Amino acid sequence: MLKSVVRAVGSAVRISSASTTSITARALPRVCPTLCPPSSATTRPFTRSLWMLNNNGASSGFRPKLFTSKAFSPSVSCGCGGLHTEGDKAFGDFLSDEIKEERKIQKTKALPKMSGGWELEMNGTEAKLTRGLAGEKITVTFNVNNSIPPNFEEEIEQGQQKSAEEEPEIVSTPNFVVEVTKQGSKHSLVFDCHFPEDEMSHGEGEEESDIFAIREVSFQPEGDSDWKETSYTLNTDSLDWALYDHLMDFLADRGVDNTFADELMELSTAVEHQEYIKFLEDLQGFVKF
Amino acid sequence: MGVVLRNLQKVVPLRRARLRRDVDTLRHILGVHKFDLGIICVDNNRIQQINNIYRKKNVPTDVLSFPFYEDLRPGKLPCPLHRDELNLGDIFLGVEFVMKQCQEESLDLHGALTVITAHGICHLLGYRHETEEEWTEMLQRESYILSEYNRLTGRHLEPLTKRCTQER
Repeated sequence: MLKSVVRAVGSAVRISSASTTSITARALPRVCPTLCPPSSATTRPFTRSLWMLNNNGASSGFRPKLFTSKAFSPSVSCGCGGLHTEGDKAFGDFLSDEIKEERKIQKTKALPKMSGGWELEMNGTEAKLTRGLAGEKITVTFNVNNSIPPNFEEEIEQGQQKSAEEEPEIVSTPNFVVEVTKQGSKHSLVFDCHFPEDEMSHGEGEEESDIFAIREVSFQPEGDSDWKETSYTLNTDSLDWALYDHLMDFLADRGVDNTFADELMELSTAVEHQEYIKFLEDLQGFVKF
Repeated sequence: MGVVLRNLQKVVPLRRARLRRDVDTLRHILGVHKFDLGIICVDNNRIQQINNIYRKKNVPTDVLSFPFYEDLRPGKLPCPLHRDELNLGDIFLGVEFVMKQCQEESLDLHGALTVITAHGICHLLGYRHETEEEWTEMLQRESYILSEYNRLTGRHLEPLTKRCTQER
């Protein structure tokens, strides 16, 4: 029998408060459990740190030797006055290979389009989607930094045993903020949303979460980029569920529904990958400089 | 805790508030409003997968019920000893499957979901339709629930078992 969804909810809510910590390491995403919602989001195979551990593919061939005298007195390899060590050279070669690999799996340089007439504006790692709807302005913002879910130990083991075709994939699932502004209103209604999959059990895979969920709702001054902490903030953890459903229907009427969330994941995954490659290129340039 | 509603699919645009209100009305009619209930809306792929795992039928369907109490006598409410046991179980609604049926028969989706949920709750309460007697008993219960529902809401819904075959 399925483990009851009702019984699973209590623990899921408690975990949610701890799941917002930032992610500091590039990591394997969770393996999609048996009953996890199918996502059409463009995903790409995991090729970052594991790729190096595996080391079957392209690599620089460099193997650092421990306890050699060179480790303590790096050699200067050119006469430009800058420090260029053997390590820097190996680092540069590694980055070159890594960039090549990442470009190979980058399906297209163009970002996927959002259906529903959303306009995209990028500012570094932050994306802003805007659409107008009968006198209302709806804005959705998200940042691709720290948007890849953390890994779990047992999943790394599973991942290592899998064949290349079954490699886990990186999917960016950022928190996103929806702002609804009505004409002539001084305040916007602001929804703090997230993808709750990281709260799912990664063992049995039978606890079910919505594709996206609202975490908080508040009014914020229109056009004000600073979050006003003194505004009352409705937390959905302890909310009347009927009210929660009306809030979800309110968002759906404005184009923020499961289809939107799925497309946002796809877009965010593409942006994150683009930014990762850009970072590697900058890093390569910096190391070589 | 009440009704835990999950929408895990993106094929069918659902009105969550409407679905919750309809399910709450059914719980009140049956006198099971103190019991928790999970309603999980899924697409054809997912319900087919679940149907295959638990019933060895590799086809999509409209509803699958997973009772918390597996050996209830039809019509007898469970007698939970602890708060944890105030739970009827979960109903998976194949909303994509239901939507296609509604399109073919020009029916209202949320009306059909109410009928199907009533059917699912009956299963959670021990009703079956494997024999003629069971089928009649379940049809009577569903007819009662929906006549009450129609009286309260002014709608005109009919039981699912009426259209059932022994295969279901």
